[in-house]
Amino acid sequence: MRKAFDVTTLPGFTFIAITAFVLLYAPIVTLVIYSFNGGNSVNLWGGFSLKWYAEAAGNEAVQGAAIRSFIIAISASGIATTVATMAALGTTRRGKFKGQTAIYIMINQPLMVPEIVTAVALLIFFSSIKIATGYSGLGYLIIAHAAFCVPFAYLPIRARLEGMDLTMETAAADLYATPWKTFRYVTLPILMPGVIAGAMLAFVISLDDVIITEFVKSAGQDTLPTYMLGQLRRALTPEVNAISTALLALTVVILTAFFLITRKRD
Amino acid sequence: MKKILAATTALVASAVAAQAEGTLNLFNWGNYTSPELLEKFTEETGITVTVTDYDSNTTALAKVEAGGSGFDLVVPSANYVPIYLEKGLLAELDMSKLSNHGNIAAEWKDVAWDPGRKFTVPWQWGTTGMAVNTTVYGGDVNTSAIFMDPPEELIGKVNVAPEMNDVMALAIFYMGGEACTEDLELLKSVRDKLTEAKPKWLSMDYGATDKLSSGDWVATINWNGSTMRARLNNPDVVYGYPKEGYPLWMDSVGLLADATNVEEAYQFLDFIMVPENAAMISEFARYANGIEGSDPFMPEEMKTAPEIVVPEEFAAAGKFLPTCPQSATDLYTAIWTELVK
Repeated sequence: MRKAFDVTTLPGFTFIAITAFVLLYAPIVTLVIYSFNGGNSVNLWGGFSLKWYAEAAGNEAVQGAAIRSFIIAISASGIATTVATMAALGTTRRGKFKGQTAIYIMINQPLMVPEIVTAVALLIFFSSIKIATGYSGLGYLIIAHAAFCVPFAYLPIRARLEGMDLTMETAAADLYATPWKTFRYVTLPILMPGVIAGAMLAFVISLDDVIITEFVKSAGQDTLPTYMLGQLRRALTPEVNAISTALLALTVVILTAFFLITRKRD
Repeated sequence: MKKILAATTALVASAVAAQAEGTLNLFNWGNYTSPELLEKFTEETGITVTVTDYDSNTTALAKVEAGGSGFDLVVPSANYVPIYLEKGLLAELDMSKLSNHGNIAAEWKDVAWDPGRKFTVPWQWGTTGMAVNTTVYGGDVNTSAIFMDPPEELIGKVNVAPEMNDVMALAIFYMGGEACTEDLELLKSVRDKLTEAKPKWLSMDYGATDKLSSGDWVATINWNGSTMRARLNNPDVVYGYPKEGYPLWMDSVGLLADATNVEEAYQFLDFIMVPENAAMISEFARYANGIEGSDPFMPEEMKTAPEIVVPEEFAAAGKFLPTCPQSATDLYTAIWTELVK
């Protein structure tokens, strides 16, 4: 009788949770299993083999796309994290001010505006710049990625800042530390886990991006995700599974690190 | 000694010249360009080719129209070529630079979307038809009745590819209409027939090659090259050419008006019209090319494949889909939306 009124008892909850997890992870597990397929099909098992990993690693198009993906992700997450850190400091290390909500919305805009809208806008905007300047290098992709990575870096940094009161900084100022020194020796070290977490999220988001990349890329600028998308029109081979599994493994490693770093805070 | 020296110098010089020849940017469907073909091209001309992928005609057109991305060659489908031409995105080809232009097979020369081939050269072509597993259904497969009016054995087992243009064309042909028709009576009958048939379908999905191979699907609308690959895995699969009419498609290579590597692009266009090279394109992507004399160079299994070589009796039923006027497309979209919802 008492159990029925216990708030921690939620009948059917376990079942729903397990179903949800199975539905979420079963397709990914299938994808990973078939990356070890010895046959040529993505759903016909032809024995265990690592040949598609070898194939992917030896494919020049994949190598080029992977290198490009990493250059873009590293540069974009670097820029995004710097900008996000400054934005987080500007929006939290002071009293409430007019227009604060408007600024939050502007910073987080990429989370809310459909990606395709940003993609088309960037396509038109960058194209005119490309024509005017003649430069069509990776710079455009880096800037575009940096822009939509900002909110992903901003959120964990702001969360960390909101959990830090001003006592340390006030103490530093009392001891005649300049604002820069306070930032360099007090704020930043305490903030670091948030910054690293933000950078990792930004990195993963940039690495995965398809839509904006597809629209902004110039000749010879396929990244791993756009390369994989391009394979769709013809029969997919487990090579795509192998690339996905490698990306997945990398993402899991980074997200685990993210989890461990943010957990330390508590 | 002098001779050897001179020869070496000449060789080094030519090697350097070849190295300096330049680059070419090809904008093509993903997984559609034979790497061996590009290697051979680079060996012969010293030009390095960079391939950039796209996954749909719309994406490619949007990027080309915006400009500035540095592409030299693009490979649109037949019904998109007129749009490129209307927008002035393709340059008229200078025939004096294309010594192999005469190799284009007669039937691909005066095509509706590019009469006389003044703007594009053939890349690959294929058909859209029916793929059926003969262990389940032994009747006539050369008809759109497979999905429009499924026979007893196939009820609840037919897949329909979610491609509006192909499905609408097959359905209109089946009901006795012409491509791009705006005859409302006929379109009404098309809509009623499709709505009536839908409960007899299994799904509307892609991925035919794998599912036909594994036997998960026993009947579907499918492309010829994909059906051939499925048949190589599963000999029970046959390809049917609907006698009521079926769509032909072709992707052709065009030189972009704002190309920067024009000379290199001409060399490439001329190169892919050499029969031996055209066969390399086909060998990789498993579709036929439009170049006369490429047959002897084709891989053995493609020379005789019933999916690739259209049987004489069905050749006339194959029709190219023109670019329909907006008013027709709107009608088709309305029917399609009603069908898929």
